[in-house]
Amino acid sequence: MLDQKLWRLGTAKAIRLLQLLFLSIALWFIYWTHIYEVLYWNKTLLETFQSNFPNVFVYSILIIAVIFLEFQSKRRSRISMSSSSVKSLEILQKENEQSKYELMKSKKMPSNKIGIALLIIGALLLSASVITSSTILAFIGLGLTFWGALFLFVRSTKFVKIPILNATATSPYTTLDRIIADLNYNGKSIYIPPYPKDTYLPEHLAGLKDMVVFISAKDSATMPNLEEMAKKQFMVKNPEGICITPPGSGLVSLFEKELKADFTKIDQESFYEELPTVIVNNLGLASDFEIKVEKEFIHVKITDSVYNHLYSKSQNLKTIHSIGCPLTSAVSCALAITTGKPVTITKSKISPDLKTIEIWYQIIEG
Amino acid sequence: MQFPLSMSDISLWIAITALILLVTSELLFSHSGHLNFPIDKTRLRLVALILGAAFAVTVLLRAITPSII
Repeated sequence: MLDQKLWRLGTAKAIRLLQLLFLSIALWFIYWTHIYEVLYWNKTLLETFQSNFPNVFVYSILIIAVIFLEFQSKRRSRISMSSSSVKSLEILQKENEQSKYELMKSKKMPSNKIGIALLIIGALLLSASVITSSTILAFIGLGLTFWGALFLFVRSTKFVKIPILNATATSPYTTLDRIIADLNYNGKSIYIPPYPKDTYLPEHLAGLKDMVVFISAKDSATMPNLEEMAKKQFMVKNPEGICITPPGSGLVSLFEKELKADFTKIDQESFYEELPTVIVNNLGLASDFEIKVEKEFIHVKITDSVYNHLYSKSQNLKTIHSIGCPLTSAVSCALAITTGKPVTITKSKISPDLKTIEIWYQIIEG
Repeated sequence: MQFPLSMSDISLWIAITALILLVTSELLFSHSGHLNFPIDKTRLRLVALILGAAFAVTVLLRAITPSII
């Protein structure tokens, strides 16, 4: 079975190579038939299309093939795995991640140094090309200067490696586990929506503008009263429980910043449409994010989350299943803010290889 | 001393660079989720689009006033 999986991984790479090959040939055809002829043979774009119709046909087929292969590779990646092979694959993946980490450590070469080096060499070559009137030197100099500037421009401002993120994210959950074990609480966690930021509230009620998660002492979905919440108390007496800042409250602010929207004002349909894009494309917190809404229940499936290690058995964290990891907690907060109603995590399911996390949320009506 | 590249040479260089960057940014965007190298995909796409637009401008210049290039 493992051989089959590895063979599949091999075919995925072969498909990628084929795609690149097809794209290169297609681009060569485009370059030759249009750009070259337009620039050097003084033809119009329409003339090049007319005179090179077979070429246009070939590269159209090649581009269609690339798109078809892309769809095929995505379909292949959705094939489910059996639990026995998953364990072996998990070990392989861990070894792979470890070796990648070691490699990254050994290759500590910041991209800004490469960018500056390219810029300097490029500028020198450009100057040399002016002095010697060499076209080749000018092309090389122009290229190096451009790529140097590009390297400086496209690098991320700050980059945190996943092992560092893992190390810092675990301790707050361990602390929370200890507190809850000490207090002997076994109730639900309820995400309580805050009042909108621009709403006027008297000073003694200002605490209601903060997002909180209430962990009750007993298994009931009773909300704490407003007065206690407004005082920003940790321990709440009626009903008994604790109020804490959700682990994902910071991420919600990032979601709002990326979407350039206030979740208290956004309509729910566009929120459900745009949330996966923000999580997957803008912030890169997961490889895939699916959200399904069925009345007051919301099912979320997250693939390859950056916080998936928090669910591993070796961590043995208990509160992670009730309040969620920072990402699932952020989704809870966002749901509570957009709906204006309390939200609770009813169930969580994690695949053995920690690849997919499924969470069921419930919006508490009334 | 004179810069050895003509406007048409630069136009061709911009075209090829824009193609490379557009394809790269498109492939990067099709790969969803976190990457193993730190790169700002949106900035890369912005540069690719700017270069593509620059090439379009050079083509337009050529079409409107052929004597320039």
